[in-house]
Amino acid sequence: MKNKIKIERAIADLTQAGLAEKVQVSRQTINAIESGKYVPSTVLALKIAQIFIKEVNDIFSLQEADWID
Amino acid sequence: MYLKIRTMKSHYLFSNKWKKPAWLVFLPSAILAIVWMISQYEIAGLDVKSFSFFHEPFMGKFSLFTIVENNIADEILGILIIVSALLIAFSKEKNEDEFISNIRLESLVWATYFNYGVLLFAIIFITEMAFFWVLVFNMFTILLFFIVRFNWMIRKSNKSLAYEE
Repeated sequence: MKNKIKIERAIADLTQAGLAEKVQVSRQTINAIESGKYVPSTVLALKIAQIFIKEVNDIFSLQEADWID
Repeated sequence: MYLKIRTMKSHYLFSNKWKKPAWLVFLPSAILAIVWMISQYEIAGLDVKSFSFFHEPFMGKFSLFTIVENNIADEILGILIIVSALLIAFSKEKNEDEFISNIRLESLVWATYFNYGVLLFAIIFITEMAFFWVLVFNMFTILLFFIVRFNWMIRKSNKSLAYEE
């Protein structure tokens, strides 16, 4: 799964810590999502989208690899 | 129509406030247990008559529901170590969230495999009384392996923060 959190953060001028606080998770979690090491739950994805006033699909998108394995 | 789905909460975990006191009990207990094991020293005051469901002295006769004279140093240390290790392992992190729960689960699976891997090795290659000590250690190792692995993975994810932002 790809995500545009880093770009959206830059646009919103939010640090990882700032976004983490807004969606009530640790900074490690945002960091792991951004670097593709962790796929967030639906609830967390919805919260992140809501912070950027976007749809979930605008921020997170499937990759070919998500259909394999 | 949407089904209302409850948010995943971290279940079966203790409050974070237990973590520090648990370490304060665990470390001295573990050190004392190792000293006790090496020295085999028995503190006289801890010899008490206690109720036993099953009792079988070394090379002796098996009996049920009896009162036996027993040094309770090992019982006390065993209980302190297990309870404090459980609290260390399963007290929430300060910032416990779904990502940390994920690390927790992964570490628990890893610790279970590793623990039984070590035990399988010991079953094959360690024999007689030496194996008795393997069993003694094995009472605690799954928790210890979990604690080490979990904290190591948390530290690793903290470290990767330094490169980002």
